[in-house]
Amino acid sequence: MAFLEVEDLKVHFPIKGGIFGRTVDYVRAVDGVSLSLEKGKTYGLVGESGSGKTTTGRAIIGLNKITSGKVTFDGNDISNLKSRSEVRKDVQMIFQDPYSSLNPKKRVIDIVAEPLRNFEKLSKKEEKIRVQELLELVGLSPESILKYPHEFSGGQRQRIGIARAIALKPKLIIADEPVSALDVSVQAQVLNFMQDIQQELDLTYLFIGHDLGVIKHMCDKIGIMYKGRYVEEGTTEEIFNNPQHIYTKRLVAAIPDIDPKRRQEQTQFRQEVKTEYEQSYNDYFDDEGLAYKLQPVTDTHLVALPEKG
Amino acid sequence: MSEKLLEVKNLKTSFRIKDDYYAAVDDVSLSVNKNEVLAIVGESGCGKSALAFSIMGLHNRAKIEGNIMFKNQDIANISPAKLNKLRGNNMGMIFQDPLTALNPLMEIGDQIGEALLLHNKDLSKEKRKDKVIQLLTKVGIPRPEHVYEQFPHELSGGMRQRVVIATAIANEPELLIADEPTTALDVTIQSQILDLIKELKDDMDAGIIMITHDLGVVAEMADRVAVMYAGQIVEVSDVYTLFESPLHPYTRSLFNSVPNTAEAQSKLHVIQGIVPSLQKLPREGCRFSARIPWVEESAHEEHPELHEVSPGHFVRCTCYKHFNFPDSSKEEQQHGIS
Repeated sequence: MAFLEVEDLKVHFPIKGGIFGRTVDYVRAVDGVSLSLEKGKTYGLVGESGSGKTTTGRAIIGLNKITSGKVTFDGNDISNLKSRSEVRKDVQMIFQDPYSSLNPKKRVIDIVAEPLRNFEKLSKKEEKIRVQELLELVGLSPESILKYPHEFSGGQRQRIGIARAIALKPKLIIADEPVSALDVSVQAQVLNFMQDIQQELDLTYLFIGHDLGVIKHMCDKIGIMYKGRYVEEGTTEEIFNNPQHIYTKRLVAAIPDIDPKRRQEQTQFRQEVKTEYEQSYNDYFDDEGLAYKLQPVTDTHLVALPEKG
Repeated sequence: MSEKLLEVKNLKTSFRIKDDYYAAVDDVSLSVNKNEVLAIVGESGCGKSALAFSIMGLHNRAKIEGNIMFKNQDIANISPAKLNKLRGNNMGMIFQDPLTALNPLMEIGDQIGEALLLHNKDLSKEKRKDKVIQLLTKVGIPRPEHVYEQFPHELSGGMRQRVVIATAIANEPELLIADEPTTALDVTIQSQILDLIKELKDDMDAGIIMITHDLGVVAEMADRVAVMYAGQIVEVSDVYTLFESPLHPYTRSLFNSVPNTAEAQSKLHVIQGIVPSLQKLPREGCRFSARIPWVEESAHEEHPELHEVSPGHFVRCTCYKHFNFPDSSKEEQQHGIS
C-alpha cells in the first residue's frame, strides 16, 4: 500500500439556477483522479489554470468536499471529516501566494504557533522556543518572532508559510505552487530549502505547479491534468523524454528553450506538435473534450489513449 | 544598418521619499532599432518597470533626468499634450496584469475603440467597429463580434492579455513596450502570445522592448539583452553572446538559479542576501558587491562603469574578472578530499 493513495477522486461543484436556486448542473472540477505516492518522494501535479490540480490538492487535505472516491493516507481512510481528524496533524499545506496566505494583523509567532496551539498543549515559554527553532530551521532570525508579515520579503514570507506547515512535523506536505509568486533567485532559495527539509524530516511532497522547469527539478513522478482528468502519468524521465499524449507533448514543447541558438528548431518543432495536436485532437479527446481512461504503456507510465473500437 | 528608433541617454528617474530623492533608474542608456527586440531582464525591484514607465511618461511625480530620444525628438520633458499624441499612437505599451489594465465596466470593443478614437477623431463609428474586429482577429480571438460586446471578467486570462495587446497595437505603434506580458499566463498560452508578438514585430517593423524575468522568454524572443540590477544596467549584449558567455556576476548567478530543463542539477544556486531597497542602495561602488562578499573589495571599481569587452558587449564594474562561484569550488574541494 502506498503512503498516499487516491482512488477515483471526484470533486463536483453544483451550479445553481432557476428561480428556486435548484442545482441544474455540476462543474466537474476533478473527475476521477487516481494517484499513489511513496514515502519520501515528490509527486508533481501539473496542469494549466482551471485543470483541477489545486482542487485535487485541497480535496486531499480536506479544504474541498469530496464528492466521491477514496483517499487513503498511511493506511487510514481520510475521505470524510470524521476519520480525518486522526491524521490532520500529519498533512499540511504550503499555499501559493505568500502575500495573502499570512494574516497581516498577526505577528510571526502567532502565525507559526497556530498549529501548535491547536494540537499541542505547550506553555508560553515552550511555544516560543519551538517557534524560534522553526524559524531558525527555515533560515529566518529567531528575533523576528514579534514582526508582522509586511516586514518580510516575498521569499521570507514563503518561508514563514513553510515554518507553519512543518510546525507539527507532518509526514505529507501539499505544496500548491509554492514558488510561482517569487523571483528566480528567491525561487531557488525556497526550492533548495524544500529539498533540504525533505531529507531532514523525511517528508513526502505533493507538488502542484505549472512551471515545468521547476516540476522537473523537484519531482520523481508526474501527473498531467486536463479538465479535471489525468491525461498522462509517469516518472519525470518518461514525461519529459517520451511524452505519449498529444496534450503532454504540446505542454512540453511550449517550455521556452534556454538556448537562443536553438530558436529556429524549437519554432519548427512547436509548429509540428501544434499541427499534430490540431489534427488528432478528436482522437485523443471525447465529444465533450475530455480525456479517455488511462492505459498502461509501461509499469509506471499511464496514458489516456483513445479507446479502440 | 537598421534605423535607430529609441535612444535613452543617461536616464535617471528619482522618487522623492521624505526630503530626499532616490534613483530607481540610475544612469541607464540604451537604444532600440526598428524590427528589433531588446529584452530587459532583472528581478522585482531592479527598476525595469520604472524604466518602462519613464519612457512612456507614466510617472506622475518622479524627477526624470537625461534624454529619451524617440525618432530624434526628446520626449523626456515634453508637455503632456504632445506626449499624449505619441502615446498609444507611435508608442504602445502592453501591461503586465491584464485584469487591472482593463476597465471592468467597459465593453471590450469600446476599450479598444477608445484607443483608436483618441488618435483619429474622424473615424466613423462603423469603421471603428470594423477596425476593432480586425484587431481582435489579428490577435487570435475567436468570435470577435461576440467578444466585442463582452466585459473583461467574461474572458480568460489569455484572452484578456490578447485584448490588452490589441489595444496596444491599435494604432500600429513603431515602438512597443511589453512589461512582463506573459508572466500571468500558462505556458501554452505564453508561447502563443510570444508568437503573436514576433508576428507583430515582422508585420509592422516595430521596435520592441520586452521586460521580463524569465530567461527562457529572453532566449526565445530577444535580439539584444540588457540585464538590470538595482537601477543600473550591469550587462548588455546580443542574445547569443550573453547566453554563451555571461560575464557579470549577477548575470551568471541568475543563470545558475534557474532550474534548467535540459540538464538535471541537484542544487540551484542561491544569490545571497536580498535586492536592497531604494533607500538602502549604496550610492557609490559596485551595487552587487554586498551579495558576493567573498570577492575581494579591491576587485570592484570605485565608480563602476560599463566596459566594452567585445563589440556590443558591455559589462559594469571590473569584478567580473575575479568572480567565481563559491559553492562549486567548495564542492570540488570536498570531492577532492573524499
